[in-house]
Amino acid sequence: MEHEATHKRQLIFTPAIRIFHWLRALSILALVITGFYISWPFLVAPESSDVLVQGWIRFAHVVFGFVLTAITLVRFYLFFFSRNDIERRSFKDVMSVKSWITQLKSYVWMGHLNKAGIYGPLQFVTYVAISFVALLICITGLVLYANVYHEGLGGMLWDSSAWIMMQMGGLANVRIIHHYLTWAFIIFAVIHVYMAVWSGIRFKHNSVDSIVSGYDYHKDH
Amino acid sequence: MDNHAALYEQGKQRLEYLRQFAPRQKVSLQQKMEESGITRRDFMKWTGAVSAMLALPLPFSTLVAEAAEIADRVPLIWLHMAECTGCSESLIRTDTPNLDTLIFDHISLEYHETLMAAAGWQAEENLENALETYKGRYLLAVEGAVPTANNGAYLTVGCKGHTGLHTITAAAENAAAIISVGTCAAFGGVQAAAPNPTGAKGVQEVIDKPVINLGGCPPSEKNIVGTLMYFIMFGKLPALDIFNRPKWAYGARVHDNCERRGRFDAGEFVETFGDQGAKDGYCLYKVGCKGPYTYNNCPTERFNAHTSWPVLAGHGCMGCSEPNFWDDMADFEKPLGRQLFHGIDATADTIGAVVLGATAVGIGAHAVASLFAKPLED
Repeated sequence: MEHEATHKRQLIFTPAIRIFHWLRALSILALVITGFYISWPFLVAPESSDVLVQGWIRFAHVVFGFVLTAITLVRFYLFFFSRNDIERRSFKDVMSVKSWITQLKSYVWMGHLNKAGIYGPLQFVTYVAISFVALLICITGLVLYANVYHEGLGGMLWDSSAWIMMQMGGLANVRIIHHYLTWAFIIFAVIHVYMAVWSGIRFKHNSVDSIVSGYDYHKDH
Repeated sequence: MDNHAALYEQGKQRLEYLRQFAPRQKVSLQQKMEESGITRRDFMKWTGAVSAMLALPLPFSTLVAEAAEIADRVPLIWLHMAECTGCSESLIRTDTPNLDTLIFDHISLEYHETLMAAAGWQAEENLENALETYKGRYLLAVEGAVPTANNGAYLTVGCKGHTGLHTITAAAENAAAIISVGTCAAFGGVQAAAPNPTGAKGVQEVIDKPVINLGGCPPSEKNIVGTLMYFIMFGKLPALDIFNRPKWAYGARVHDNCERRGRFDAGEFVETFGDQGAKDGYCLYKVGCKGPYTYNNCPTERFNAHTSWPVLAGHGCMGCSEPNFWDDMADFEKPLGRQLFHGIDATADTIGAVVLGATAVGIGAHAVASLFAKPLED
């Protein structure tokens, strides 16, 4: 007995986008936890001072920080130069007032936007904003890194990091800005997960699973 | 000729040049040392220490010795702007005069409002004479910020009624080099802290010339005398960091040379002042130490003839050699992550948590409303 498929499958997220999405999610989670710990250490010190509690947590923060930095750069590159233009196509909606109105109305349960690409206009703008926040938190992180580690990469970054530090009004301000930006990610993550789940339910398509499998499904007409 | 040999040659020529001027002191440094009970051996040790501090190899100690002897050929004009005289105090107040204070005594100090005997017309005349006689040759040290609000009407003192802004502008015009002594002169200090009613600024912001900034509230006597010695020896500015502070003094983070750094990396922190951790010399990060954001040589040079420094005494560094530290480093007894936003008295984390809570409420409301919304038609 043959089974007829009721839906068509469409690849919306390339493997690179999916891998980077989850690596980024992992590094953000690790960075938020280790970052808050560094800001206010609370674990009781071990018996021996050979165990560098703060040192190991800082090490994890630095490692995930470099992962996030690398992904941020690669994702900027992929947005512009990926062979798949499904992300870039969304820009059409961003430039259209009509798309904006339709999309915003759909969030309050009125109608549905047939998107040009994969993202709605508000979603697109939010992702652009969070990408720049990521860029800024990576830059401030690298400035702090260069002020702690003076050899190798830290040494190479020293001059430019000193200049950025001066523009930001000193090392203390760099650290404060780095801390503030953390909250943008926390609040973004909560809204992001909700919107992903909600839009899947509301607009009856594959949403959360897409970033794992890469596919969305459309009913045949 | 390698770099050090070339620098040594430069120093020799500079001292040769200085020797042509008449000494301004009747008593030689050697005699002064004898009177104060400082031996030749002490002096040689001091020259070695100064060379090392300036990151110069040991042979330069002979240059340091020579420069110290002829320090009275270098005219120094010391101006007081909006300040507390703590920087001068740091240098001159001592129970036993050591070589640093002696050098300051020996240098040809032409004008210093705290130390001079002259007053009124005589004082003004001294300043004007010095500015004219040593044109292009004098070293200008400034203590205190320059108030610029109300057209700089502040600090209008003396018989001629010049404003502070006028005095500093006139004195800076023909100075061979300008040293901002202390955080006020370098970056504005407490006068420039918000809301800065007098429009106080660091000297470098009102003078269109390179200024050496000696951050610190006060800077240690070592950093002041070391900078003077460098100028006497070489007649030019030392290598400076991005905030124009000499690299030999402000090149390393307080945190990196701190004797409690091992405690930090091991995660051993003082929780409150007076707890067992405090008694055991644990790290002061959680009670507000700003050593991680501060560049200075306090942990290695210390204060008061190497006696102590804040962290050794049990209080965290408050970052006094950094620009705008009164605002940026507050609260001094809390880490930066617990800094309060002015006006709402809440930390970034409290605000973040409140925004996060509001987001959760909004999401909850939207989710509940979605249950009752008319489903999308197929």
